[in-house]
Amino acid sequence: MKAYQERYIANLKQILERRDIFHMPGEDFNNWYAECRQAEEKINVLKKENMDILTKDLFPVLDDLYNASDEDLKDLESFSDQLMDWKNNLDCGVYVIIHEAMLRMYRVAKNPSRIIKELYKLGMGIYYQDLAYRGSDHPLARQLHFENEMLFTEAASYFRYFSSISDDETRGYIIRSLANISISANDRKKRLSSSIKTLNIVTDPYYISLSPNLPWKNFERRTYQQISSVRSTLSRGDFSNEELALIMEACQVIFEPEKGSDKPNVRWLWPYYEMEYNLGLADLKTTLARMEDLIEAASYDQYDESGLYANVQLPVYYGRLLRDNPQLLQKDRYTSFLKDAYDKMMKTILSMPSEYMSEYFLYIFYLLADSYFETQGVEPYFEVMKKLIVRFSPKRYIRALLLSDILELYCNAILSNDEHFFDELPFLKEINAGNHKEALLQYVKDCALFFDFGLIPMNMDRILDTRSLFEREAEIFTLHTDIGYQNLRRRASTERFADVALGHHRCYDENGGYPEEYVRLDSDYRKMTDLFCIVTYLEEHYEEEKDQVFESIASKSHTSFSPVLVSYLEDKDFRNKIKELLVKDKGPYYKQLYDQLKN
Amino acid sequence: MAKGYAVKNNKNDEILFRSADFKEEKITEQIAMSDETTLLISGTDPLQRQIDDLSRKLQEAESANLAKEAFLSNMSHDIRTPMNAIIGMTGLAKKNIDEKSRLLDSLNKIDSASAHLLSLINEVLDMSRINSGKLLINEEPFYLSDLLHDTLIIVRPQMEAKGHHFDVKYHNIVYENLVGDIQRLRQIFVNILNNSVKYTKDKGEISLSICEEVKDDKCELIFNCTDNGMGMSQDFLKRIFDPFERVNNSTNSGIEGTGLGMSIVKKLVDAMNGRIDIKSKEGEGTSITIAIPLAYETMDIDASALQKKRFLIVMEDDDTSKMLQGYLNEFSIPNVTVRDFTSAITEFTDADFEHHPFDGILFGNFENRTGNTFTMASYFRKSYAGLPMVLISEDDWDKIEYKANRSGIEHFIPTPLFRKSLISSLQEIFTKEHSASATLQTPDLSNKKILLVEDNFINREIALELLRSTKAQLFSAENGKAALDMYLESEEGWYDIILMDIQMPVMDGYEATTAIRNSGRKDASTIRIYAMSANVFAEDIAKARSIGMDGHIGKPIDVAKLMQTLRGAE
Repeated sequence: MKAYQERYIANLKQILERRDIFHMPGEDFNNWYAECRQAEEKINVLKKENMDILTKDLFPVLDDLYNASDEDLKDLESFSDQLMDWKNNLDCGVYVIIHEAMLRMYRVAKNPSRIIKELYKLGMGIYYQDLAYRGSDHPLARQLHFENEMLFTEAASYFRYFSSISDDETRGYIIRSLANISISANDRKKRLSSSIKTLNIVTDPYYISLSPNLPWKNFERRTYQQISSVRSTLSRGDFSNEELALIMEACQVIFEPEKGSDKPNVRWLWPYYEMEYNLGLADLKTTLARMEDLIEAASYDQYDESGLYANVQLPVYYGRLLRDNPQLLQKDRYTSFLKDAYDKMMKTILSMPSEYMSEYFLYIFYLLADSYFETQGVEPYFEVMKKLIVRFSPKRYIRALLLSDILELYCNAILSNDEHFFDELPFLKEINAGNHKEALLQYVKDCALFFDFGLIPMNMDRILDTRSLFEREAEIFTLHTDIGYQNLRRRASTERFADVALGHHRCYDENGGYPEEYVRLDSDYRKMTDLFCIVTYLEEHYEEEKDQVFESIASKSHTSFSPVLVSYLEDKDFRNKIKELLVKDKGPYYKQLYDQLKN
Repeated sequence: MAKGYAVKNNKNDEILFRSADFKEEKITEQIAMSDETTLLISGTDPLQRQIDDLSRKLQEAESANLAKEAFLSNMSHDIRTPMNAIIGMTGLAKKNIDEKSRLLDSLNKIDSASAHLLSLINEVLDMSRINSGKLLINEEPFYLSDLLHDTLIIVRPQMEAKGHHFDVKYHNIVYENLVGDIQRLRQIFVNILNNSVKYTKDKGEISLSICEEVKDDKCELIFNCTDNGMGMSQDFLKRIFDPFERVNNSTNSGIEGTGLGMSIVKKLVDAMNGRIDIKSKEGEGTSITIAIPLAYETMDIDASALQKKRFLIVMEDDDTSKMLQGYLNEFSIPNVTVRDFTSAITEFTDADFEHHPFDGILFGNFENRTGNTFTMASYFRKSYAGLPMVLISEDDWDKIEYKANRSGIEHFIPTPLFRKSLISSLQEIFTKEHSASATLQTPDLSNKKILLVEDNFINREIALELLRSTKAQLFSAENGKAALDMYLESEEGWYDIILMDIQMPVMDGYEATTAIRNSGRKDASTIRIYAMSANVFAEDIAKARSIGMDGHIGKPIDVAKLMQTLRGAE
């Protein structure tokens, strides 16, 4: 690797190490706060240095890729391999732009072997990048995801030239791409048919004889694993007999050996039970009992693969079963078990050592945000998510505290001028007018923590600590409004924050911003959303623009911002009070975070 | 005594007209007319004549009164409805004058109510114009496909809103270039189809058939619309062309209209020497056939240039893809049809591998679980930049043009497809875009001057080499400062395009662009400046746009993408 490449990697590692400080409060608050401040400063310095490396060292190389020597290209490959080694994924965005540039170059050079390899590598990078919005059914998400499927499809379409391609490496990329169509396809029937096609190829003696050195057995096992992944949808009843037989066979190959084990790994045992349930081979009662046994058998601090699966995933699946079978909610036994399982799950998550907190945390957050079953007797979704935000996204918590102070100031100014301004908010309609102000101020405090909810499982904060977003990442970023909205609106304890989550990046006149799905006039929360638009803009831009930020907001009155709300900023005293909040020492906020983390 | 009538010219007493029973010596009545003539009546008993006259006038007056009452009743309701909306929404708009989006919402509703009101007034005025003999029928050449596409765009949304199954068929289309009044023809067809939509219960069946019959030197365009709607009684059918007549029964209350539509249709068809035939049965449906004789123009097609091209058709719609394939085969234009995106990609890799590339993609507009035409086009735009892509569909291009362009689809051919207009459209797109040279997408910039700003010598040489094929006059500078100096020293309007590297010593591309845009010269805002950089930070691309650059070309330079960008400057 080149020196600049090594420096970029080293800086990234240092940034990530320093980010962990915010999650780990020491014994003494003052020391920890000082460490946090130092870490913040250092992160900013390293971020700037890495931005310089990208703009002054990497981009010129990509600019000049046609003239790059073989050694330069090898170094670039090594660099990209270090950025994404699929264990410690340091910077997927840079990995993607390197392979985009390489693919473009090899397309112009019409070099099929290199095109195939780059299609695969780019496909893998984009697959990882797209995990940021997993589960989203937004049209933009489908469009972005389509690109992933097409990259693998294009590489796999060279399969018909398999015998005329001479090198094993390229053949391997074709087979891997063929297999990956199924992991990237949106449609489960397509996923299955693609896996079946792959299985036929990877077990065909003719192709094996052409490249005996390829890891065919590994390909076969991976393909079976992929086929088994459709087991959760078996009960829909739309698979043919042949398909069902193959899915059962795949589950047997992959999961059955775990049944005979003395100490079965729950991660590999549960899917077999799941398959039996979805095929009607085990009834609901038996399945719930199996689940309960597995959950109870794991202690909360069992952080290995099996323990985490039993402590985190299984309670979520248990909740899903109750949700899908509402007759079970009539029996206290099940809801009571769910409550205990959820409590233990939270204990596991909140006490999880920091080495588990990167990739796995993102998955946990996604899983709980998407599937936590809020029902009578269990901790409300709001409380669970609040704990996760504090534990895993401490900077978001600090920001929420600052925003809620500014929002409170704004609300007070508005109410003193027009006490009925917020009367359209649905939750205020349900309470006595005398309590409106108190309820409103509590609302803005909670909403400040939840309006950017969709961003947390996207890992965008980690990227933004290391560099600015690339264009594709910026597009993905815009999905956070819809992801937050979809999750919040489905739970009684958070539905009142959903509209603000959806609309806080949309322009007041709906001629810009995103997403288009937010129709201001249709929302009972529009005045609150307008307020969040202004306050978050102030908070994000004040450091750079200083007093100019108020002019900037005034110039966007009627277009980006509500003119009624902008008019309050004409009052100099009011502006000064906001400025005081923006520049004041954040120590008290960190103290609140510290206390929360310690508890 | 039998009554007789005559008309006398007052100026010279000449009898201009006389009935057989008129007896000059038995004149009993003289009535002065407004055009300087006198009506002479003979042989009538004055008293009896007066009684007859009064009785007839009374009957006419009663009948006219009834029609007027019906008209006023209908119109007062139909006019009041949108007027109420306008008044109400204006009040709301005033109330929310500070809330821009609410204001906009009210204005949009006022806009829509006004448009509806205008269409009512237009119908009344049309009728009045026709009755006063002021109707003019234009004789201009038009494409049959345009007439049908425009008609269908108007009626489809209402068809869909009511969930009707709408089947459109074309037979025996011989002449596609017709001569006539396309606006009035559309008015007739839309009127008939709208009636079918309105008077058919939701989820009904409506079919449209279009065919031609050649008669001597005219081509008769035959339009038939059949529905399974409420139908009409035989009694009503006799009055259907009378002004202000509407089917009146309990099931159609709430259906808006002046009752002038069919009357106007009849007058227009008559003015075009056409015929209209209506078959209808109450409760079963209606079938209306209109035949209009039109002049036509013959169309000679030379498809030889297209025969050297190769097209990939990506369409789910069997009818359209079969028709398209059939027409291309008829003219020996090479093509391959696929129904899904995976097959499309496979065809492209085959084409690459076998070195027989496609020259363009013809897309239908479709969407399935995995993606849609625009996501597919976006992928091709990235992977095969510069490849011309055409959308062939029934959509309203105005509504989807922005989305299509963003995905890389720059051309549109409306359906229904007819062979000659299809080939002619393809010729227009592909023979203009592609020369026969090896670099198919190279634009002709022979009258343009390009300034290339690039600090790396080798990159500069490569780019200049690529740009030479455009025949543009080329200039180069090694940094932003040098480029700025060259620009400021040149005559205004000298350079047409600047291709600007971003990271350069002395002065970078942003700074140079800002200085050019702020130079105060007349050409400062019109000269096209494109950024060339591998820098893909979202904020940098946004910055390039915000300081006035016209676009961004990624590095390493992809020839096709460069040419595609430059084609915009042709």
